[in-house]
Amino acid sequence: MDAVWLLTLAVLAPLIAGVVTLFLPRSLIMPRVVIATAGPAIAFLLVAAHAASHGITSEPTDSIPWIPSLHLNLGFLGDGIGTFFALLVAGVGVLIMLYARAYFGPEKDDLYRFYPTLGLFTTAMLGIVVADYLMLTLLFWEMTSISSFLLIGWDRFDKKAVKLAMQAFFTTGLGGLVMFGGLLLFSLHTDLWRWSDIYADGLAGFDMTLSWTNPMLWAFVLIFFGAATKSAQFPFHYWLPGAMAAPTPVSAFLHSATMVKAGVFLTGRLFPVFAALELWPWLIIPLGAVTMLLGAVIALNQHDLKRIFAYTTVSQLGLLMCMYGLGALTMTYHDQTFHLIDWDITQIANHAFYKAPLFIVAGALGHVASRQLPELFGAWHHHKGMVLTILLAGWGLAALPGAISFQAKELFLYAIYHATSVHPIFWILMLMAILTAVCNVAIFVRLTTTLLGLEGGLRTEKAPPPPWPVKETAPDYYAPDHPEDEETDAHGSGVHDDHGHAPHAPGTHHEHHHETGFWGAMLWVPALIIVSLQFLGGLITPLWNAVFRPLETNLNYFGGEGASYTGVPALWQLGIGVPLGMSLLAILGGVALGYSKVMRGAIVDVHDKIYPAIYDLCVNGGGKAFRVVQTGNLRDYTIFILLAFLIAFGGAVYFDGGMFEPVLAQMALTFEFWPGVALAVITCATAVAIPLVQARVVRVLLLGACGFSVVGLYLVYEAPDLALTQLMFEIISVILFLLVLRLLPDPESKGAWVGRIGRISIAAAVGLAFGWLTLVAASGAPFDSGHPILGDFFLRHAYDGTQATGGRGAGGGNVVNVILVDFRGFDTLGELVVLALAAVGVWSLIPPRRRYQR
Amino acid sequence: MSSLILRTAVALIMPLALLFSLFMAIKGHNEPGGGFIGGLIAAVSLAIYRMSNGPDTFRQLIPLHPRIIVFTGMAIALLTALAPLALGLPLLHTWHGYVGLPGGGTAHASSALIFDAGVFLVVVGASIGMIIRLSEELEA
Repeated sequence: MDAVWLLTLAVLAPLIAGVVTLFLPRSLIMPRVVIATAGPAIAFLLVAAHAASHGITSEPTDSIPWIPSLHLNLGFLGDGIGTFFALLVAGVGVLIMLYARAYFGPEKDDLYRFYPTLGLFTTAMLGIVVADYLMLTLLFWEMTSISSFLLIGWDRFDKKAVKLAMQAFFTTGLGGLVMFGGLLLFSLHTDLWRWSDIYADGLAGFDMTLSWTNPMLWAFVLIFFGAATKSAQFPFHYWLPGAMAAPTPVSAFLHSATMVKAGVFLTGRLFPVFAALELWPWLIIPLGAVTMLLGAVIALNQHDLKRIFAYTTVSQLGLLMCMYGLGALTMTYHDQTFHLIDWDITQIANHAFYKAPLFIVAGALGHVASRQLPELFGAWHHHKGMVLTILLAGWGLAALPGAISFQAKELFLYAIYHATSVHPIFWILMLMAILTAVCNVAIFVRLTTTLLGLEGGLRTEKAPPPPWPVKETAPDYYAPDHPEDEETDAHGSGVHDDHGHAPHAPGTHHEHHHETGFWGAMLWVPALIIVSLQFLGGLITPLWNAVFRPLETNLNYFGGEGASYTGVPALWQLGIGVPLGMSLLAILGGVALGYSKVMRGAIVDVHDKIYPAIYDLCVNGGGKAFRVVQTGNLRDYTIFILLAFLIAFGGAVYFDGGMFEPVLAQMALTFEFWPGVALAVITCATAVAIPLVQARVVRVLLLGACGFSVVGLYLVYEAPDLALTQLMFEIISVILFLLVLRLLPDPESKGAWVGRIGRISIAAAVGLAFGWLTLVAASGAPFDSGHPILGDFFLRHAYDGTQATGGRGAGGGNVVNVILVDFRGFDTLGELVVLALAAVGVWSLIPPRRRYQR
Repeated sequence: MSSLILRTAVALIMPLALLFSLFMAIKGHNEPGGGFIGGLIAAVSLAIYRMSNGPDTFRQLIPLHPRIIVFTGMAIALLTALAPLALGLPLLHTWHGYVGLPGGGTAHASSALIFDAGVFLVVVGASIGMIIRLSEELEA
C-alpha cells in the first residue's frame, strides 16, 4: 500500500474503532473491547508495516490534498522519532484499552463513553507524531487538548474534576495558541510548511543570532512555549498533577507515555531546526532543570500514589527537556565534534516503560485497597502480583542497575559531565540531577518499605493496622474469598485525587467489587508486560539496541573515557568515571533519605494556586472592567464611539500628509462665494445654539433650522437633488423627534463619564473632523483615473465610461443618482440594510400598542 | 391632531404628493430625483395622512404591515444587485438602453430603476413604520 495511505489509516484507526463501538448495543461488552483494542493494534501494525516497507526515513510520504491554500494536507513523515512515538502510543494504547475494561469493570455506560473518547485521543496523538505538515501537527495538537479535556473531566458530575479538566485545557490550550503564532511566524518567515522540507533544506540561510528583531528567535520562543505548557514545564506544571482527576487508564496513557510527551516530542522535532539558535540551550536547560528538581522534591512529599507518580512525571519531563537543551552544546574530542545529546529515544522510551506501569498499578491498588501510600502498609501480603509489578516499575523509577533507565540516567549524566567541560556552570546542573536522582531513589525506598510492611515505611497514624483483616495466609487479591467490604477506590472518581489527603470513609461512595479471573488479572498484567521491557532492555542491552537503534536520530557514540560501544551501553560497558560515581552517590543518598524521617508529610503544591489565582483575576477583572465600561448610558457609548473615531482620524492625519495640504486649498475656495459663506454662518450659529438652550422642543426646532440652512447651502451651490433629499429628511426627522421627545427620560441623567463642556467639545471636534473628511474626499484624486478631483471623474463617466471605470457608470444624466445606484451602489445597498435594521429595531424595542401605566 | 382643515387639505394633497413621489423616483436617473427622495416624499405625505386621519383610516389605506414593504424593497434591491453575478458581471452592474413604449415612442430605461424601486420601498416602509409605531406609543 502507498505510504501515505498506510499512515493515514494508522492515524485514523483508533478513532474509527472507537466510533464503531458506539453502534454496538450497550450490553455487548466483549465485542466492544475487542473492536476498541483493535484500533490501536491496527495502528501499531500499520506503522510497523510502513517502517518495514518504506524504511525509517526522513523522506515524506506523498500528500493527499486537503486545504492546500492553508498548507494543510494529509502528508506524513515516518522518520525515527515519529515512528518511535507512533509505535509507543499505539502499543501502550492496546494495553490501556484492555486495562480500561478491567478498571471500569463491566460498567456498560462507562465503557460506552470511554472507548470513543480514548480513540479520539489516540488518533490525535498519532497524528501529532507522524504529521509532516506543520499545520497538521498543530491540528492534532489541539485535538489532544480537547480530547484530554474530555478524559480528565471524565466524571462530569464531579465539579472538581471538571474544574481540573478546564485547568488542563486552558493551560495547554493557551500554549497551543501561542504555538500557532510561533508556527505561523516561522513558516511565513522561511516559507517552509513541512517538517521534511525544513530538514531537507536546512536553515543555514537564516539568521540564528540572539537579537530582539530576529523573527526566528521569536518563532522558537513561541513554539517552545506551546511545548513547555504541554509538557508541564515549570511554572505550568500544575495542570499535570491536577489532571490526575482522570480515571487511571487515562492517567497511565496521557500522562506517562503520550500527551505530556507531545511537548518533548515537539522539542525533539524542533531540535534539528532550532538547535543552532544561540538561545536554545540557555532557555531550555534552566527551565528543564528547575522542573526536574522541583517535581522530584514535591513527589517525595506526596502520599497519594497517583500524585507521587504525577510529580515524578513532571520531574522526568524536565529531564527530557534538559536533555534536548544539552543537545545544542557541542564538545570536541579527538578531532571529532559531538552533540551532547545521548540517545534521546532511549531516554523517552525508558520513562514510558516504567511510568505507565506505575500508574496502572496505582489505579489497580486504588481499586482493591487504597491509593494512599500510608494505608497500603504491608499490602504485599494481599496483592502480591500488583506489589511486585509496582516495585519492579519503581526499580526503574529509581534508575537502579538492571533496568534500562539506569543506562538512560548514565547517558544523561554523561551529557552533563561533558557539558561541564564546555562551561563549569553545568556543575550546578549536575548537582540538580543528582538531587533529583536521590529523590527518585528515596521514593522507591519508601514505596518498598511501605508496601512490604518493613521498618521505615509510611503508616497512617490513625489506623496503624492495615484497613483489611490481616490473615496469616493471605489470599491473592483475586481469590474468591477476598473480603468485599474493604475500602475501594471508586474507579478514580477523582474527588480526592487532586490534593490527595482526603481519603474516603468506607462505603461513602459507589464501589463495585472487582472481578476475578482474566479481567481481574488485566488490572495489573499490562503493567507487568510493559515493565518487563525495562528489564529486558537493561539486562540484554543488545536486544534493546536492535529495536531502538534504528529509530535513534541523535546518535552519540561517545560514551566516556575508555568506553567503546555503538549502541546504548550494556551494564558491563559503562566506563568507570565521574558519571558512574555520581550514580552511586545518588543511590546511597537516596537510600539514606528514604529511611530518614524528613520530608514525609503530604504537602500541597503551592503552584496549584497559580491557575485559580489567574482564573479569579480574569473573572473578577473582567467583571470590574464590565462595570466600568458598560454604564448603560447612551451618552457614554456615543462618546466611546466618537472618541475612537477621533483617535483614528488623528492618526490618519498624522501619518498621511496628503490629508492636510489639499484640504487647505479646497477650504480657501469656499470663501469666494458670499451667499455660501452667509448660509454657512447661519448653519454654524444654529448648531452652536443647540446645546445652549435647555428646552428639548427648542432644540429640535433649532436642529431643523440648522438642516434647513444646509438645504439653502445646497441650493446656492446648485445641488437640487441634495437639497430636496435634505428637505424631506429634515421634515421626517423633525416629526420623528417630536414623537420620541415625550418618551425620553429626564434630561440630565447622572453618572455620565464626560461633563457638558467635554461633550460639547467632543461634538465640535467630531463635526470638524467629518467636515475635514468630506473635503479630503472631495479634493482627493480617485484611483489611478488621471482625474485631479473625484467629482470630475464622476461627471465624466456618469453617462458613458464603462471601459474607463471597469464596468461602472450607466447612462444616467443625473450624476448624483448614478453615484448612488451604480458607482457607490454597494454602499447604498448597505445603507438600505441599515435602514431596514433600524426599523426592525424600533419595532422590536417598542412592541405594538404597549400601554403605559404611569 | 384631528383638525378638519388639515384633514380636508390632506385628502386633496396626498394623492398628488404620492404621484409626485413616483414621478421623482422614476425621472431620477437623468434629472434631479431618485428612489431615496421619492421614498421620503411618499413617507412624509403618508405620515401627515396618518396624523390627520388617525390609525384606523390609515390602516384602511395601507392594510399591510410596514415591515412587508421594507422586506419587499430589500428583496428587490438585493436581487437587482445579485442578478449581474449570474451573468458573470460584477455586482450591481447596470444595464441600460431604450425600450419601446406601447404608444410608439421609446424611453431610456435602466436596470438601476429597479434598484431604485427597492430603495423607494425600503425608505417608505422604514419611515412610516417608525412614525406609526411611535405615534401609537404616544396615543396609547
